[in-house]
Amino acid sequence: MNRKLRILIGKVGLDGHEVGARVVAKALADAGMEVIYAGLRQTPEMIVRTAIEEGVDLIGISILSGSHMTFFPEILRLLNRYDAGDIHFIAGGIIPAEDVQSLKAMGVKEIFPPETPTSVIVDFVKELLSVGK
Amino acid sequence: MGDQSKPKGFEEIQKAWEEQCLGPALEARPERREKFLTDIGLKIERIYTPSDLERIDFNCREDLGFPGQYPFTRGIDPAMYRNNPWIIRAYSGFGEPKLCNERYKKLIAWGADEIVMAVDLPTQVGYDSDHLMAKGEVGKVGVAVDTLRDMEILFEDIPLNTLRRVSMLGNSFGPTALALFIALGEKQGLKPDDFVVDLQNDILKEYVARGTYIFPVRPSVRVTADVVGYCARQARHWYPSTLCANHINAAGAGSTKAAAFAMANGVCYIDRLLGSGYKIDEIAPLFSMFLDERADFFVAICHFRAARKVWARIMKDRFKAQDPRSMALKITAYSHGGETLLEPINNIARITLAALAYVLGGVQFLYNASYDEVLGTPTEEAAKIAVRIQQILAQELGIANTVDPLGGSYFIETLTSQIEKQILEEFEKVEAKGGAVSAIEQGYYLAAIMDGANARQRSFDRGERVSVGVNKWKTETKIPLGAFRIDPALEKMQVERLNKVKKERNGKRVQEALAYVRETAGGEGNLVPPTLEAVRAYATIGEICDVLRGVFGEYQAREYFGKGGR
Repeated sequence: MNRKLRILIGKVGLDGHEVGARVVAKALADAGMEVIYAGLRQTPEMIVRTAIEEGVDLIGISILSGSHMTFFPEILRLLNRYDAGDIHFIAGGIIPAEDVQSLKAMGVKEIFPPETPTSVIVDFVKELLSVGK
Repeated sequence: MGDQSKPKGFEEIQKAWEEQCLGPALEARPERREKFLTDIGLKIERIYTPSDLERIDFNCREDLGFPGQYPFTRGIDPAMYRNNPWIIRAYSGFGEPKLCNERYKKLIAWGADEIVMAVDLPTQVGYDSDHLMAKGEVGKVGVAVDTLRDMEILFEDIPLNTLRRVSMLGNSFGPTALALFIALGEKQGLKPDDFVVDLQNDILKEYVARGTYIFPVRPSVRVTADVVGYCARQARHWYPSTLCANHINAAGAGSTKAAAFAMANGVCYIDRLLGSGYKIDEIAPLFSMFLDERADFFVAICHFRAARKVWARIMKDRFKAQDPRSMALKITAYSHGGETLLEPINNIARITLAALAYVLGGVQFLYNASYDEVLGTPTEEAAKIAVRIQQILAQELGIANTVDPLGGSYFIETLTSQIEKQILEEFEKVEAKGGAVSAIEQGYYLAAIMDGANARQRSFDRGERVSVGVNKWKTETKIPLGAFRIDPALEKMQVERLNKVKKERNGKRVQEALAYVRETAGGEGNLVPPTLEAVRAYATIGEICDVLRGVFGEYQAREYFGKGGR
């Protein structure tokens, strides 16, 4: 597995606070991964299409607007619909504990709250993506 | 210098102290850090003395002066809070207007002077509640507003003239935000003279931080400037534009660069207005600034003092302003920044101290975060505490009884002078790049923001930046539940209200008004009058913005990090 890991980072919905997403993107890139930053105002459809086009191993979505229960299940549904269920999905942002539980049950691999050291995210992604190979 | 007299032989005395007193103490117990560095890169010294004032060539008359006079270091009012207490703002909004109206009435009953409407994201980017992009976002981070009807409900039984100010951000659609208040006033039987409107209406920072833009950069400058131009002639006591350093700092730039960038953004709007025939003293007093420093208590105090000096100088030297009101920088601040999700009650202490710094720095308009805001929409109790903290600061402990209480301190004056120099240098760098729009287009602002954001994250990861209960003395791991949730059924309710308004309004009048907006946007006229016509006719924010999208286009922000990142 000499191929570099490919990651798609993006924001869904209208929430424009993107520093966290960019910081995580940089940390993953610094750790040797190829990171595609999709930017703001993405729909679940746009995210999933970009993920497939770019052949990424993992999607990371940042959200602070509280609309995760609308968007995350939709991303998972579309991944399955396009037969791309092997693309992992992680998220970060302000997500209440009870939602974290149900989103993980649906298939989101991990949800990182604010104040998470980037090293924790990098280690998690490396671990997650090496297991499946 | 001269007025801050230093006793004879002071250097020798200090040297002796260092050798006989300090030296042994440090030998016995070293300092807790090698260097005490601030977020803005300035080193904090062990002690400040008259020698520091000598080093910065401190001049009591020119650097400090008197409050209410150039360069306004000590404040913009001669007696400050003794006769003009700062305005207690409450930033609030969630769900749909009826629900929100109840909260507003409570905030006013608790003593809030100004209601700042927090509107939801679809509203902020000009989508109606029934738009495809609005799905799942209606009423989430603020209240949904589609038409004037929503404003009427929001302010039912709240006459605008009973508030010291009323506000919404309106960054991407300033003329519509302004028109909504003018038209709401009309519905309440009030003229613009009777009340005070305050808008953020600063679009340029949205392209580098916060992200609620609609149109491309250049037409957006006009949209922002038109609001100021309109008020300059029709409502001179309003606050049509608040130049925001806050979001630029929050995103990572650091307070110094953030203030410099925000000032450069202001200069861009002013240049445009001067180009349209306004005089500097006609428009400059209508701007205020939203400053921010959240990493260091004393830097925050000095930041405000320094920013006032820099702004006064820009207005006087660059724009040749004559009226002191053009040079006196009115400051808004928001007490927040270090709040944590873990042990959120601790945030009350953080917010209180942030607010105290801003008061000591001479703020005019202040609002506090609610301690639970990091978890979601504030609960009623938390919103009340946010107001109470300000009232305690204002009245209980003598904090507001003298002007610029820390003025003359060796530390405060040294730091103020250093920050002043930093802001001015950063401002000049932006000017050298061709001003705000060029600097944004060249990616200069964003690069500064990302450098700072990454540096902050590194210092947090290494434990240098302490967050109590999070990366030090951590005992809790469970993030509490956000106690207050928005009922998803509200989205449906809001869409129904929107449909009802559309059915009941005069369609022909709406179409005519929208055509007037289109025609004006295509020419050079001020956008406020046609927008006001459209708002009065109950055109929706989305309809007005769609017309402008048709004329100006939309901003495309797609960007690739590319291989290896940046």
